[in-house]
Amino acid sequence: MDSTLPEDVLAMIGVEKIRLYDVTKRDIRRFSQAIGETNPIHFDEDYAKSSKYGTIVAPPLFCQMFTFEDVPADQLPDDGSPIEIDVPLPARRTVGGASSYEIFQPVKAGDRITVKSSLRDVFAKEGRTGRLYFVVVETEFSNQENEPVAKETATYIKRV
Amino acid sequence: MGQDKLTWENVPVNAQIPELTVCPDNTQVFMFSAVTWNRHHIHYSKDAAVNEGLPDVVVQRALIGNFLARLITDWIGESAELRKLAWKVTRSALPGRDIVCRGRIKDKIDSEDEKCLICEVTASNGNDELIASGAATVAFKVNRATG
Repeated sequence: MDSTLPEDVLAMIGVEKIRLYDVTKRDIRRFSQAIGETNPIHFDEDYAKSSKYGTIVAPPLFCQMFTFEDVPADQLPDDGSPIEIDVPLPARRTVGGASSYEIFQPVKAGDRITVKSSLRDVFAKEGRTGRLYFVVVETEFSNQENEPVAKETATYIKRV
Repeated sequence: MGQDKLTWENVPVNAQIPELTVCPDNTQVFMFSAVTWNRHHIHYSKDAAVNEGLPDVVVQRALIGNFLARLITDWIGESAELRKLAWKVTRSALPGRDIVCRGRIKDKIDSEDEKCLICEVTASNGNDELIASGAATVAFKVNRATG
């Protein structure tokens, strides 16, 4: 934790948000189309039946579909960036960053996914063109059996 | 497709993973924003992106991750599972440009429940400049007698 950061930023760290999503075949099909995935295991039931899964499964990073809370647009920052990283920092632009994504089991249609998300850390570094702020968000996904499905730790970079 | 089944045993360290080239266009970037409910303006408004110092709308970090995931899943098929993928974006990727994904086996791990391959992965643009790099863990089931 970076003690040079404003108190209100530090107070946001570790606060958990929980929400639920029901996965449909259409969700899996649309996500597959959006990532350009053509493997029939994600949309063709007959093909999927003969696979080792016995049913349609989602692509590995599918839970990205539930990473951002679906709040109305007027609740987002002006740049439309996700509310998960809406931290009061003296920085305007949000860029790329990094991700570490673990997959514990494939997601199937009919799964009810619990999404647990929290800000894990915020820290600053001096970059070549000024101060950079790193915002780390952890998101855990579990299914209706309370089994872990996936976990992502994403690091976003904010700059002036 | 006629190839031998991939096993942990038959993949040597340093082996190359078959390359994957993709070329996400504006429609795909838009579809990915829509499906992930990502309203960040740098992914759909060129004006907003340019105003932030970017050359054009940029391909999402998360979408680049899916290309790296597909590099692995196209290669392993149903022989194994992608267990973990970590990647860092170091350069903007722009719509309409090729992204070349490559991988190499860096290490092999034999644990009690699973045998894993640790793979280095990269995504580069058409000028061979690095867009993202990271690591993937591929897990093979082990059927050990418990007897």
